[in-house]
Amino acid sequence: MSARTPARRLPPSGALGLRAAALAYIGLLVLLPIIAISVRAFEDGPRGFLAELARPEALAALRLTFLCALGVTLFNAVVGSIVAYTVIRYRFPGKAILNALIDLPFAIPTVVVGFILVLLYGPRGIIGAILKSNGIVLLNNQAGIILALLFVTFPFVVRAVQPILEELDREEEQAAWTLGAGHWETLRRVILPVITPGIITGAALSFTRALGEFGSVVLIAGNIPLKTEVAAVYVYGQVESDNVRGATAVSLFLLVAAFGFLTLFTLLQARLSRHHHAA
Amino acid sequence: MRAVTALLALATLPGLGGCGGAGSKTRGKTLTIAAYTVTREVLGREIIPGFKQSFAGGPVQVEESYEASGAQTRSLISGFEGDVALLSMSSDMEKLVKAKLITHDWKTGPGKGMVSRSLVVFVVRKGNPKGLRDWPDLTRPGVEVLTPNPETSGGARWNITAICADALKQRGLEAALQILAAVRANVIKMDKSGRESMTTFEFGIGDVAITYENEARARLARDADIEIVIPRSTVLIENPAAVLDVYVDRNGTRALAEAFVTYLTSDDGQRAFVRHGFRPVVPKIEAESRAQFGQPERLYTIQDLGGWKSVGQTLFDKDGLWAQAGRRVASR
Repeated sequence: MSARTPARRLPPSGALGLRAAALAYIGLLVLLPIIAISVRAFEDGPRGFLAELARPEALAALRLTFLCALGVTLFNAVVGSIVAYTVIRYRFPGKAILNALIDLPFAIPTVVVGFILVLLYGPRGIIGAILKSNGIVLLNNQAGIILALLFVTFPFVVRAVQPILEELDREEEQAAWTLGAGHWETLRRVILPVITPGIITGAALSFTRALGEFGSVVLIAGNIPLKTEVAAVYVYGQVESDNVRGATAVSLFLLVAAFGFLTLFTLLQARLSRHHHAA
Repeated sequence: MRAVTALLALATLPGLGGCGGAGSKTRGKTLTIAAYTVTREVLGREIIPGFKQSFAGGPVQVEESYEASGAQTRSLISGFEGDVALLSMSSDMEKLVKAKLITHDWKTGPGKGMVSRSLVVFVVRKGNPKGLRDWPDLTRPGVEVLTPNPETSGGARWNITAICADALKQRGLEAALQILAAVRANVIKMDKSGRESMTTFEFGIGDVAITYENEARARLARDADIEIVIPRSTVLIENPAAVLDVYVDRNGTRALAEAFVTYLTSDDGQRAFVRHGFRPVVPKIEAESRAQFGQPERLYTIQDLGGWKSVGQTLFDKDGLWAQAGRRVASR
């Protein structure tokens, strides 16, 4: 689809230097802290590590975190794609503003997000008061966690799908129409195959971000161990109570899981786009 | 290889967040105070200005750092050179002794090392609509309780100790576990600190927040929609202060630091604490301020319950009563 990169034309020594610098940078910035966490987590051997992970509070926090992250990611994959399509394909007043709004969740400090959500959805908030009179509570429970995660992860899928849709030939879509394909068929056979790699990229980012989210969730979730405490909040509690091993064990688990998922998503994406190009 | 491991160990040390003193070059006349969060107002507005005025040895600079008691303790241990520590509980002070930062006997002076007191109380909505008078009332169905997480909040440890103090003292561990589980089942949110808990309460969440009496009184002064209830039985909170020998000797601030700790239990210092809702430790000030404070039927000190070491193990160990209470609630 895109032209081959001209980077290949760099002299071998320059390319080597660039590669070494990039690797060193990643090593220092990303790998070193991860190694440090691993060293700490295994301070008392694998048995100590497993014992920390097996604590009921740790297990419950991990389970809750993964379930919420998964739910949020699936939701984002669908709604994010629809939003991206809408923004690209239709004209309506205020489109530029809407487009700018999409990225805002990245710019707001997550603690502020949590704070604002509590203000809005709390019993004295504008929406919260209405919800409460209808017997709905979105605070201090799993719904609150999902709400916070949806807000902070919203841009990922939209922004991953949008450029692909922009590249997608409008004529291809119209050709499908004129050839008698219905709405659904055009979507399934023309649009979806092209944007799926984008959805996967966005979903992967959204999922891993949701795994580690702290600031927005801590204010809205309730943070009750075994019930509404997510992994990042659990880790914070362990750090604060001098249980470094417990904190690093759960962190390492999150890291490995995130790494696994990211790799899986990348492989999946590569496969799909190859498949699409071959077709 | 060893150097690498050391570097890694350093990089992963918790609580490096202490505020290093910016004016540390001018030490000798600069006093650095490492305090727990709740004392910010009383220290900043009254005690530090009062001390500066009363100190005979010339003009004094004071730097202040406020953090949750446990985090402050960790900061000091990992190298934040505070001259005086003012903490929420004596068990944190003992950690400084263990780290050999305090080498003298700190449990001296008129308060035996303690400079202020408070009680664990309830903050409820105006008019106390749910009629919450004592701990068993907090176990009733539909009562929403706020208390911070004891893993991050020293205040929460006092709260939880107060919940089961009667049971521990009179009826034993199983009774203590029962009331802890029953109250915990009604806890709807565990914030990081007592102050955050009060903010949550002010958002309209919860029927009762368990907190320090001084914190409650400070809130009452600006929020007319709340009420303070002293439960029939509760725990006497005592807050210690001490000079950190290692740091004052290194920085040449011993005389200044000792004068400050003495000032905390002076008549002026104690009256400042009282004005901010704390109970005094000095008998004379206690006598003159007694009318301002209500008295519970049964008041336990932490020594009555076996001291922090024993209470800490019984309640807050990984599989202590508080954790067990949570698991009991979850398995219902």
